[in-house]
This record gives sequence, structure tokens and C-alpha cells, in this order.
Amino acid sequence: MATVARPEPVRIPPTYSEITHDIAATLGRPGRIYYVLLGFVITVMLIGAAALLWQVRYGLGVAGYRPPVMWGVYITTFVFWVGIAHSGTLVSAILYLFRSAWRTAVYRTAEVMTVFAVMTAGLFPLIHVGRIWYAYWLIPYPNQRQLWVNFKSPLLWDVFAVTTYFTVSTCFLIVGLIPDIAAARDVATGWRKKLYAITALAWRGTDQQWRHYTRAYLYLAALATPLVLSVHSVVSWDFAVSIVPGWHTTIFAPYFVAGAIYSGCALVITLLVPLRKMFKLERYIHEDHFENLAKLLLLTGMLVGYAYVVEYFIAWYSGNDAERSSFYFRAFGQYWWATWTMIICNGFLPLFLWFKTIRRSIPAMFLLSLFINLGMWFERFVIISVSLAHEYEPYAMGHYTPSWVDWSILAGSFGWFFMWFLLFAKNFPMVSIAEVKEIIPMPRKERAHA
Amino acid sequence: MSLLERAAEAAGEAVSRRRFLKVLGVAGGGSLAATACGSQSPEKLIPYLIPVEDQVPGVATWYATTCRECPAGCGVHARVREGRAVKLEGNPDHPINRGKLCARGQAALQGLYNPDRVRGPLARNAAGNFEPISWQDAITRVGERLGAAPGAQVWFVTGNEAGTFDRLVSDWLATLGSSGRVVYEPFGYEALRHATREVFGTDELPRYDFGAARYLVSFGADFLETWASPVEYTRGFTASHAFTDGKMGKFVHVEPRMSLTGQNADEWIAPVPGTEGVLALAMAHVIVRDRLGLPPSDAARLRPTLQSYAPEAAAERCGVSAEAIERLAREFTAGPSLAVAGGMGAQHADAHSTAAAVHLLNYVAGNVGRTVVFGAAPNPTGGSRYQRLVDLTQAMQNGSVAVLLVHGANPAYASPSGLGFAAAMLNVPFKVSFSRFLDETAMQADLILPDHDPLEQWNDFEPRAGATLLQQPVMQPVFDTRQSGDVLLELARRMGGRMAQRFTAATYKDYLQDAWRRLHQQRGSRETFEAFWTEALMRGGVWSEPRPRGVSLAAGAARVAVTPPAVPEARFTLIVYPSSVLYDGRAANRPWLQELPDPVSKLGWSTWLEIHPDAARELGITDGDIVEVGSDAGTVRAVALLYPGVRRDVVALPLGQGHTAFGRYARDRGANGYQLLAAAPTAFGGVQHYAAVTVRATGEHEVLATRAGNRRQLDRGIAQAVTLAGLVEEGFEPHHEAHAAPIPERIEEVLDQWQEEQYRDWKERGNYAGEHPRWGMAIDLSRCTGCSACVTACYAENNLPVVGRELMQRGREMSWMRIERYFEGGGEHPLEVRVVPMLCQQCGNAPCEPVCPVFAAYHTPDGLNAQVYNRCVGTRYCSNNCPYKVRYFNWFDYQEPSDPTFSWPEPLHWQLNPDVTMRSKGVMEKCTFCVQRIRGAQHQARMSGTPLRDGDVVTACQQSCPADAIVFGDLNDPGSRVSRLATDGRGYHVLDGLNTRPAITYLARVWNRAEA
Amino acid sequence: MTIGQRPVLAVATCVIATILGWAGALGAQQPLAAQQPPAAPFEAPEISDTAGLKGPRQPVFFRHDVHTGQYQIDCRYCHSSAETAPYPGMPSMKTCMGCHLIAGASIPEVQKVREAATSNRVIEWIKVHRMPPFVHFPHMRHLKGETAVKAEITCQTCHGQVERMPQVYQFSSLKMGWCLDCHKTNKVTTDCSACHY
Repeated sequence: MATVARPEPVRIPPTYSEITHDIAATLGRPGRIYYVLLGFVITVMLIGAAALLWQVRYGLGVAGYRPPVMWGVYITTFVFWVGIAHSGTLVSAILYLFRSAWRTAVYRTAEVMTVFAVMTAGLFPLIHVGRIWYAYWLIPYPNQRQLWVNFKSPLLWDVFAVTTYFTVSTCFLIVGLIPDIAAARDVATGWRKKLYAITALAWRGTDQQWRHYTRAYLYLAALATPLVLSVHSVVSWDFAVSIVPGWHTTIFAPYFVAGAIYSGCALVITLLVPLRKMFKLERYIHEDHFENLAKLLLLTGMLVGYAYVVEYFIAWYSGNDAERSSFYFRAFGQYWWATWTMIICNGFLPLFLWFKTIRRSIPAMFLLSLFINLGMWFERFVIISVSLAHEYEPYAMGHYTPSWVDWSILAGSFGWFFMWFLLFAKNFPMVSIAEVKEIIPMPRKERAHA
Repeated sequence: MSLLERAAEAAGEAVSRRRFLKVLGVAGGGSLAATACGSQSPEKLIPYLIPVEDQVPGVATWYATTCRECPAGCGVHARVREGRAVKLEGNPDHPINRGKLCARGQAALQGLYNPDRVRGPLARNAAGNFEPISWQDAITRVGERLGAAPGAQVWFVTGNEAGTFDRLVSDWLATLGSSGRVVYEPFGYEALRHATREVFGTDELPRYDFGAARYLVSFGADFLETWASPVEYTRGFTASHAFTDGKMGKFVHVEPRMSLTGQNADEWIAPVPGTEGVLALAMAHVIVRDRLGLPPSDAARLRPTLQSYAPEAAAERCGVSAEAIERLAREFTAGPSLAVAGGMGAQHADAHSTAAAVHLLNYVAGNVGRTVVFGAAPNPTGGSRYQRLVDLTQAMQNGSVAVLLVHGANPAYASPSGLGFAAAMLNVPFKVSFSRFLDETAMQADLILPDHDPLEQWNDFEPRAGATLLQQPVMQPVFDTRQSGDVLLELARRMGGRMAQRFTAATYKDYLQDAWRRLHQQRGSRETFEAFWTEALMRGGVWSEPRPRGVSLAAGAARVAVTPPAVPEARFTLIVYPSSVLYDGRAANRPWLQELPDPVSKLGWSTWLEIHPDAARELGITDGDIVEVGSDAGTVRAVALLYPGVRRDVVALPLGQGHTAFGRYARDRGANGYQLLAAAPTAFGGVQHYAAVTVRATGEHEVLATRAGNRRQLDRGIAQAVTLAGLVEEGFEPHHEAHAAPIPERIEEVLDQWQEEQYRDWKERGNYAGEHPRWGMAIDLSRCTGCSACVTACYAENNLPVVGRELMQRGREMSWMRIERYFEGGGEHPLEVRVVPMLCQQCGNAPCEPVCPVFAAYHTPDGLNAQVYNRCVGTRYCSNNCPYKVRYFNWFDYQEPSDPTFSWPEPLHWQLNPDVTMRSKGVMEKCTFCVQRIRGAQHQARMSGTPLRDGDVVTACQQSCPADAIVFGDLNDPGSRVSRLATDGRGYHVLDGLNTRPAITYLARVWNRAEA
Repeated sequence: MTIGQRPVLAVATCVIATILGWAGALGAQQPLAAQQPPAAPFEAPEISDTAGLKGPRQPVFFRHDVHTGQYQIDCRYCHSSAETAPYPGMPSMKTCMGCHLIAGASIPEVQKVREAATSNRVIEWIKVHRMPPFVHFPHMRHLKGETAVKAEITCQTCHGQVERMPQVYQFSSLKMGWCLDCHKTNKVTTDCSACHY
């Protein structure tokens, strides 16, 4: 049979009970590796927290800021996490509306990631303001001082955008969880049974419940979809409405949205690969899923690459002296390394995705996703800090290098994110039991001797 | 509890009870409430015991006195609030500074409130440490020592004390039977005095009339920085040189290094070091040869002297082309002109002949009696001579000095270390210092009797004949100090005998008034002495125009010959020049001045070595490298600064740093240039400030302590300039950024409407009913010299924190006003330096305002970009969006005494201006055109029911500017000075293309030369 | 303002008034007539229980109601710079002794003052009116000048009927909203930088 091309490996689809069993298994007693990981990320988070306390005590000066660069690692990281948050909704909501079946295996991970990413992002505007204890002044509320907020300020738009997005994506996640929690409830014991009993919201899986449930889910999906575009557009306006050369451009909204989905998908892959190994979900999450994600990556990656080209083109074409010199500075100034990291990771590496072998090779995808995450962080750094370092007033140009506080808080944010993620992964099913059941072909008979 | 409260309390602790009541009384009256930070601890209101007539809570009182930071003797008005001096401003009708004041003058307050002041008499104990003792005890000790010592073995070193105190000291010493009087000013003008004696046979120095000279040649004289009387000369210079109705003078600066003064020259000529004299004589040669101008009859007598200085011959020696020399000579004699030799031009081995040569040049050009006037006898040094210090050192070395008293001088630091003054002091059994600070000399003393600060004393000062300036205490002494005059009189009483008979005055004030009684008689004024005295106190002294006196050539004139010092091969000529900010180091303990970016290098808190970029490249040195500079006298380490404004064979190093004592701000910072200078006095008995040195990189590197990001303005028209010819012929065309398409009419209209609506909207709510001001400013760059007085004035007025060297290296200094410095040309083109004062432009269409989420940054109806500090959350978006980068963020809690970055260690915080809020950590701050002064003036106007008039509001920077380059006022008032200047032909707005509509109009610099 | 302008007369008035007044005060108790307009001549009540009074306890139980209420001494006699300066100022010990050299010698509280004055000590009063931080409040602008006069602002507008307070307490909140209300009703500036700089 050597002459015959090797056929696609035939996957024997799991049975309902297997599904329930396999996925519920992920909720079993965690092993040592899990605790080691959890311990590690919590330590990292605590380091970040310590750095933050230090900063609140002595002032923002302990961070590396050097005028004129007034926004540095914090805002960079804020935009990074908000970006991450996007693919979640895209995968779960938009693909749901498009009825693309492959999402079922990955959407839970994406959604969870979304919620925790927004939670993380939301911290950074607070971390970065000079007087964190007065940050609530950005919320419009009646006060005896008869003061109001400035709705012209994009920073205020941010407040609304991020909070809205957090609320909606959280609801979406919880609703999606209900049937699975119910399933888990039925197999769980002890305190977890109680927990699930409550969070399952008395789900019994009756037809009527299902009917309402699917409706609710659909509407939420419809509600969440526009946010995918709106939220990151608003975030991009934080920069686009300013007069800073390098920020002041009209392509920012689409550019940022594309970048957001790009980085989001990348992180989904980064998360899925180990998850799939650890929880033995190979049967549910396999090459096809990665390939689909890869295609999404390829698309958005191309968009981002195109945006880079357009940025430089416009800078040149505008004939605007400040713009030109700002972009020249990006590529060949003190921060050339950051710029080229971003261009290589986001512009060139995704070109490998044209090859099917790469798209279907899980290690390759994992590696690639890491590079893309790195590149996307640097993209934000270049756009934000490097532009600020080279503005209009030549005398006031300056070079900014982050301090240990910036780095610790950046690391801490990852610790914070992964802490939630790990806790969630062990307590709630990371793959939707209900939906996986929906998409498998007609259930086979149980084998007699099984 | 706010800083100002602490200040009040501190006052309580620091001063005696009765004064305590005085100080606190008014403070309690309410000034605390202004900036109290709402602590719940019960605040006390402490009344006066006895009310003080001229002190009303919250209202400032002004006292006239005299600035003693340098020998110029400017008149100042001290603004006193609640019994504390909070600001110094120039005395408007003073003959010398006419209401202006330089950075050093402003910083005198930080001498008064310096945390490192000696707080009471100190004596060295057995262990060799200083310990406090009582004044009684201290004076007794001195008395005994003086009684025991033979009169001839008592020496007394003072700084320049021209005036009554000087006479007291001399008289006191003489009565003691001592001839050991030494006056020491590191810059003694020995060369000039020597030359004047040679050429004109007189001991008095000439007075230079910069205002009358349309053509000015300075042979090294840094008259805009430190030389003689900078504020006065700046005024004169701008009067003749600033562009006014189509005319301006021309200024040529001759020096191997381009000083700040040189940067303001239309033409900079860098001769071979030490050959300025050759150039001067060559010019004189041409003038006499071609009978240019109207030389005096006996000018011909000089032919033989000038014979060997034909342009061609001279050109080879001084490296200036013969054509240039011919041209200079012709231009020089074309109209009223002036040549001055001084500064570094008068500090090398052959400086006396340079000065003499320049005298001759002035003489043959017929300037003597016109712009070079005798009779005023300016006395910038009190007759200081380095030679005398050398004599004293020798006397100390061979043990013939029993008692040494030092007042107002710091020779242990400010003299060539080769002289070994400090070491020699060890041979003196008893050394008394009257120093206010533990400086290098005081550290060597056995007893320290701290003098009052000049702002706490009764005294007078005579910078020139006919000008006797008064000093009066503007507030109660901060510490347990005593005026040295009183100490000397007390000593005389104690010693009894001759001394007691000679000095009968009970206090130094009486002694001073006796002297003034004599002055009163001399002037033969009809009013009573009391009236005379009171008026003098109010005016700041008495003065009259001196009568000019003719001079003629002396025999020595014929002997003038220039023999420039030879420079050994393969070595740089080092020029050690006085810092225009720290002078000879006496101001190094003033944090404001340490932090003030040097006008030339833009560095703070450091000692740098200026080296030409080409030379640096050869040595593999770049900006920020630590280099080792070695001369025959010694070696120092400094940070390299590539500066195209020095000759390739010259390096330059500023004085002022490298203190080993002198308090926390000065100690162990930078290097002391005196360690490189030869100790041997020159032929004219002065210090040689030139040395042959080697420079080598140490491989170490540091970040330069500066905000200066880019030295070129990338063709963005920040600092614009035009040549006189160009301006007169085709006028001035403002530079436009490459992209700056003309702004559509429509947008202009819309913005105007917006502004109007906004005003109407505010007005309906009762804002500024009746008035409709749009505050604005005009800055004339053809006047601005870059001296940076305005910067320090801003620090003083607006409670700006000093952040220190480390934060300055991170560009975090808080100066709301900065002087930006840009290089133009260089290479084969002549180097051009442009400066532009950059402060908040108070944009009419401000980018900072819309981005603030909480309206902390907003537009006031009178056109200011206000910043409400206590509303600011600190998002810093306003700063990102500010194209001028004039918003400053409080990275740390500079105003919190418990914070490591606290900026006003007690009692420095006594100086804080109670009218200005203290900004706390995490808040953005910025220039608001001194809004507190605007509101103050508006209050006054409303109280008196009269509208504000032009000139009622004067910003701190405008007030201090010696060149009168800054004009502030209401742009909506067509009659105001500022609105007239705003429409001037030279006017332009920085970054006009962004359509920010700044309220500041810059008037382009005008160069009086061929090429721009 | 009459008294303020003629201190001599003021002292005399005080002396006489004090003697008579205390003679009266020692007699029958008077109910506290704080609210209704001063039914002239107002007589300050005898206060037996000071613990019940509002406001911080002062080192000396100084009675504004006696001084300004009963004896009609103008506020500005003691707080002299209220109309000319940002701060109203506190009376010096000398001012107190102007009257109390003679007046009220018998009263223990007055004796405290006299002791202090004679031994060159001062009385450290507790600050009653606490304005929020970071704001400038020029007293004179609120008492003089056309708008102030039009709005008929008196000391009492903000400080309450001090002439009826045995012990002074903070009458108004002095918070920003409170300022703005008045500024709006009187159509005067509400520009932030009028008070915050």
C-alpha cells in the first residue's frame, strides 16, 4: 500500500458520555505541575503588586519616564491587553453568528481569555495615572463641588468602552457556561457540587430552557459583535485625535482592530497548545482548529503588515516634515531595535502561514504565536513611546528607558492574567461540553462489551 | 500640614520667642489656610503681642536694599510677606540695574535661607571638631588672642567690601598696628588696572558706555555674564545693539572660546589664544596709518609703537586675516565705537599688554572721553590683588602670622591650589572666620563668628564714585548670627586702650550712620540728616552722575608691546573661565543656580570640558565621556561636552564646582578648575587663567544632566533670525514648516467665534464683567541674551522644586521657563547660536485642553491655559499633546518634607511664595503667566474701582529680564505695549502651522552681518 | 465702622460698657435670643454649662456675643484687615489690653488674658473656620468692591450671627459647592482660576 498517498488520519468521534467524561476529567484533582505553575504566576503577580505599591508611595518617578515621553510601558501594556481581549469575542460571537462549527472547541478558551485580558487591561489606566486615589474623578457622578467630566477627552471614551466591553463579554462567558456547569454539577462532589449547583442557575436542560438559552446566547452574540470593532477603535482614538506625529492618523481604528484580533488569536494559540496537552484534549482540539486560527492570523497579519506600509507611505506622502522625521526616527533612531522587532515579528513571520505544513504543525504555531505576541507588544511601544520621544520641539526630544518598576508591573500583569486563567481552567470546563456534543455526527451505539 | 504651616512652625523653633510671635502672628492670621492641605490637627491662630505697623496679613511689604552677590552692587527690593523675605526684585530707579536682576541676584534668598548656614558661633574643640559656643565666649577668645599677639602679626582677609565696612576694617587694623590687610577677589582686574596705569598713568579704572557705542569690539570681556557689572552692561548693550526702528549697532567678540557674550555677537573672531592684543594693535596701526576716524592729535606719537603691527605681520601671529583686520579697523572708526578688554582676554600671562593695546586702540579711535570715561572710578574689586594673597601665604608659611581673620573671601578654594593657601593656614596659631557658611577656608579656622546675611545687615556699598548704596535688614536674622561690624567694634571695646578710644560707636549701625552724617555734610543737602537717611533708605542709597575727567597718554603708552605666551606643542590651551551662574564658586551652594542650565552648555550640577568636535573625534571622545585634564599644576576629571564654539586647539572649563566643603549642594560635585592653574603671579600680579593641558578619555561615561534633546532645530523655525540688511530691504518672512499649508479663512473665523462665544458664555456668568482681556506676551529675540535670569525668577516666584542632578539627567527638571539653545551653521559656515525662551504659549486653540478628562486643563475667559492643580488626576495626556513641551509633571512629592526628594530643607521653605499653591505628587503643572500676579492686580483694581492699566501686571520673568526682552499685557487692548509688539514686522509664532494660536509672539533675532 | 475709626472713643466705650454690662449680667438670667433679629439692647446670657456649646473650646472662653452682641463692638475693630487684605487678621494682645487694662478685671477669663499679656505671652486661639485646601479666599473682595456691596455681603453671611455666639463655631460648610451657589446667585465669576492657582 506504499504507493497510495497516506490518507488523512480518521478520527473516531467521541461518544456523548466520553465527552462528558473527558471534559469533566479536566476538572479533576490537579497535579503537581498545576500547583507549581499556579505558585509561579502568583509570585510574579505579587512582585508586580509590590512594585505598584512602591510607585504609589513615592510617585510615578520610580518608573522610567523621561519627558517628553509621558506614556510608556503602562499604556503600551494597556493597549496590548485590550487587543488580546478582542479575538475572544470574535471567535465566540462572530463565528457563532456565521455558524462556523470549528469554533466550539476553542471558543471557551478565547472567551475566558477575553474576560481576564480586559480585567488586566483595566488595571493599567489606574496604574499609570499620577494620583490613582483620584482616578474615580473620571467617572461622571454628581458631587457637591458641582464638577463634571470632559466628554471631549478620548480618555473618558476609554472608560466607557472598556467597562462596557468587560460587562458584555463577562455575561457572554457566563451564559455560555451554564449547560456545562450543569453537566459538571452532575459529576462533581463536595463543595464544588454546591458551587456548580448555584452557578448552574438551576439548569435542568429542559426544552424550554434550551429554547430560551439559545435565544439569549444569540442576542448576546449579536450585542457583542459590534463591540469587537468599536472598543478598539475607541482605544485607537486615544492616539488618533492627538496632534502627536505618529499618532495623528486616520487609519488607526481599522489598524488597531486588525492588530487586536491578530494578537488575540496569537494568544489563543499560545494558550491552547499547553492546555490541550495538559488536559488531554487532543481529541477535541486538533490540527483543523489550529489551521483555522492560523488562517485568521494570516488574514489579520496581512492587514497589519499593510497598515505598516501605509503608515510609512502616508508619512512620506503627506510631505509633513514632523511626520517624516518621526517615522525616520522610528526606523533609524535610538529605538530602531524595537521598530524592527515589531516589523519582523508582525510583518514577515506570518508569511510562513502561507504554508499548510506550518499551519498544521502545532509546535511551529506555538512558536509563531509567541513571536507575534512579542511583536504586538512592541508595536504598541513603538507607536506610543517612540512617537512621543520625537515630537515637534527639537530641544525637548528625549530618550526613555523603562525602569525595574515598569518591567515588574508588566510581568505582574501576566502573573495576574494567568492566575485567573489557571484557576478557571481547573474549576470550569475549558471546552464546551454542550456544543461539542452538538457538532459530532450522529452518536454511535455504545459498544456492547464496553 | 502644609509646607507653609511647617515654615511658620519652623520659624517658631528657629528664632527667639518674641520674633516667634512676630513671624507666626501674621502667618496665623490666615496665610496658612491658603495652602493648608486640610489636616485635621487643630491649627493655631497666634496673634501678635504688639502689632507691627507695616505688616498686614496677606499683603506684601517691600524694602529697598543692595544685592551683594557680586561686586556690581545692584539695587533690590525685597518682597516681605508675614515677616519673611520671599522674593527679590530689581529697584526700578536704581542707577545700576534699573529694576532688573540677574539669576545670581535672585538666588541671594537661598543664601539667606540656606540650610547649611552656620547657625551660631562655633569653636574648634580638642578633638578638632566644631562645637557651638556663646557669642560672649567667642568674642572673649578673640579678644585675648588679639591682645596677646603683636599687632603686626594680625592679618585680615576680606572680599570686596568697598564702603564703610572696608574703612572700618582698615582703620581697625591700622589702630591695631597691623599692615596685614588683604582684599581678595579671584577676578581682580589686575591686568586692566596695570594697563591703565601704564597707558594713562592713573590708578582708577575707566567706565565703559556700552549704550553710546554703535560698534563694539570685546576682547574677551564677558560683560553679559560676570564681567564688572553684567546687568548694567546688558542694559547698555541692548540699548545700542537691539534692533529698533530699522537700526542697530554691531558687536564683534574676540575670544578663542565663544562665551555667552560671544554667542550674542554679530561676528565671533577666535584668534590664537593670547593674541587679542596683536589684533588690537594691528587695528590701531591701520587707523593711525590711514588716519581713520578722528584720532587725537598726539595719536601720531604711537606710530613707532604700532610700527611692527602691520596687518600682514599681525595676521600671521593672531590668525586673523589681514583683510579682516583692515575691515574691522574701518568699521570701528565709522561711528561711535568702543573696545573693551576683560574677562578671559585679561587673564592670560600677557593680559596686561592686551588691555594696554585695547586702551591704545580706543585712544587712537578717539573713544577716550566718549565711550571710555574716567572719573567714575568703578571699583569692581575693592582693589584686590592676587600678589597680596601670595605675600600673605608666604608670611603664613614662615610663621609670621599670629592671628588670621577672614571675611567674605574663600581663598582656600578660590586660589590656585599650587599656592597652598589652605596648607599654609595650618602654620597660623589662631584663625578666625566670619563666614556664613562652612566653606573651605572656614573649615580651616579655629573659630567661626558667622556674619549676618547681606539681607539681614546694616551696611553700605560703593561700586563707583558718587554711588553710595544702602543695605538694610529686610527681616529678622534667621539664625543666631552677628554682624561682623558689630563684632569688630565689640572687640575694640573689650581690648580697651587705643582701640576703645578709636571706636566709640555702640553698634555698627551707629558707626554706619556717623559715616553717613559725613556724607550728608559733603553733599551739603539742606534737609535734616534724619530726612536724608530715611529717603536714602527708601531709595536704596544716594547717587549722582560722576564728573568725567580727561586723561592723556602716559610715558608707558609708548612701551606697549604684545608678547603672547607660547603654547607647547601637542597640548591644548585650557581656558578656565568664571561660570556665568556660579561665578567663582561663591554661588555653588544655591540649589536654584546649581539646577539652572548653564546658558552655554545647558548642563546643571556638573563641571564640563568644552572641546571642539573635531578635536574630540581625534581623541575618540563623545558627549558625556569622563575626561582627565592634566596641566603642570595638577589634573581634574570633567565630563566632555562637544562644543563647536571653541578653537580646535583650545579647551575650556568653568569654575565654580569641585568644592570639598560649603554645604550639601556644593560639596563633592564636579571639579575645581583652580587645581589646573599656575600659582605663580603674572607680571601684573594676577592669576593666570590659561594653562597648557593634555586631555585623555578615561573610558567612563555619564548621562549629561540636561534637558537639551536636539542641538539643531531641524529647520522648524523655533528660533528665527534675519540679517539687518535682509530685514531693511525685503523685510522678515516668517518660516513655515514644510507642511504648513495656509490655514483656511473659515477655520480662523470659527476659532474667533468660538473664543468670542466662550467669553460671552463666561461673561453671562459674571466673569470679568467689564473687562475682556486676552493676556499675551512678546519676546524680542534681538534683545534676549540667554542669560537665564528669567528662569531663576520663575523658580523664586512660583515655588518650583529643585530636583537635583540625578533627576536632571532624566530630563525631569521643573523649570516652567527654559532657554532653548540651538546651533546653526558651523563647519565652513560661521557658527551661529540662537536662544529662545520657551514657556507655556497660552494657546488660543490649545491642544492640551480638550484631552484632559477632568477639566484640570481648561481655557480661562481671559485667555490663559489654566491648570487647576487640585483637580489634576495625572493622566499626562496634556503634556503628550503639547507641541511646545512646556508642561511639567510632579514625578515625586517634592513638597513633602518626609519624602526623599523633598526640595526645601528647612529653612529654605521660608522663601516659598504664599500666593502660589504647592503642587503635590502626581500633578501636572505649568506656567500660567503668573496668574497669582494677575489676580492680585485685578483685586487691587477692583478695590480701588479703577480698571487695570497696561503695565499693572508684570510677570516674574518680565520683571527680572535685564535686556527688557519680555513684554506682558492685554492683547485686546490696542494701546498696550504688547499688542503693538505682537503686530511687529519681525513677529512670528513658534510652530505656527499647528494653528495653536499662541499668545506669545516672538520677534526674530536680527544679526548685523552679511550672512545669516 | 464708627468705632473702628476712632479707637480712643472705642476704648472709652468699652471701659464704661464693660463695667455697666457686668453689673447687669450679674443680675437676672436672660434667655438666649440667638435667632430673632437683635432686640436691642441685646444682653448676653450667663453661660453655666460651656460643655454644651458648639464649636472648639478656646484656651480663653472669649465671648463674641458679649463683645459684638452686647457691647456692639464692630467686628473690624479686632479683625482689622478684613476689608483691606485677603486675611482678616487676629487682634494683638495689645488690642485686648486696650480695654481689659481696666475692663472686666474681676472676670477669671479676662484675668487669663491679662496674665498672658503682662508676662509677654500670647493666647494661641484654635482655628474655627476651616476652608478646604488649595483655594484662595480674599476677604476684602467679599466685603468691598461693587459686586460685594451689591450682594450685601456682611461678615454674618458666611460666619453666621457671631454676635449671638457665646462660643464661635463654623457656621457655613465653606465647601466648593457652597461657594459656587453664592457666586452663581450673585452672577460673579465661576472661573476655576479665580480661586485656584
